[in-house]
Amino acid sequence: MTEAAIRKKAGMASVKDMPLLQDGPPPGGFAPVRYARRIPSKGPSAVAIFLTALGAFSWGMYQVGKGNKIRRAIKEEKYAARRAILPMLQAEEDERFVKEWKKYLEEEARIMKDVPGWKVGESVYHSGRWMPPATGEMRPEVW
Amino acid sequence: MASAASAEPVPTSAVLMSASKHIATRCRGENVAFIKCKKDDPNPEKCLDKGRQVTRCVLSLLKDLHQKCTKEMDAYAGCMYYNTDEFELCRKEQNEFEKACPLS
Repeated sequence: MTEAAIRKKAGMASVKDMPLLQDGPPPGGFAPVRYARRIPSKGPSAVAIFLTALGAFSWGMYQVGKGNKIRRAIKEEKYAARRAILPMLQAEEDERFVKEWKKYLEEEARIMKDVPGWKVGESVYHSGRWMPPATGEMRPEVW
Repeated sequence: MASAASAEPVPTSAVLMSASKHIATRCRGENVAFIKCKKDDPNPEKCLDKGRQVTRCVLSLLKDLHQKCTKEMDAYAGCMYYNTDEFELCRKEQNEFEKACPLS
């Protein structure tokens, strides 16, 4: 009943003659819609992009090289300082070692004094080079 | 930590590293002789005398530096001690020390 109230036409014979009420295009149709893609081909060329990337990379590597030079200088300073004080430290250690070694040699002489043909402090190697003691001679706490 | 008494700087690592540039220039002869002796024969008993020369040179140099620029050397060695011998962290004290006691 309400539909007839909305869509009534004068002189209608039955409900079947109601005019159509549709959502449709405006008269003359809609405006045309562009659906084709339009990707512009302006902007930097391939060569330009490549050269920019190459330039950025080169500048970056140049900065890396500069930084490495600075870091190497810092390391060199540290190593030079170590080289400068190395002889002092080695000399101090030599003094301490010689004192301990003499103590050990006396102990060895005391222990081996009755063994015939025993040379105290003789090197166990045949190379002739001096080798640091490696069998616990400098650790009287574990003898 | 830089010096036990006001007269004798104890050769701790911080003190030695602070004075390392001076040691490198002023004790170069003794250092080179000792290293050469060691290279020829690593036996400690054979290089004791050269080692004693090195120790004497370094200790006298430390005493001399400490007497000439006490405050700067103490500050520098204290900074090195605090920063475990990192030169980059003690640039200010290093520059003041080297200005007061220049590298000969």
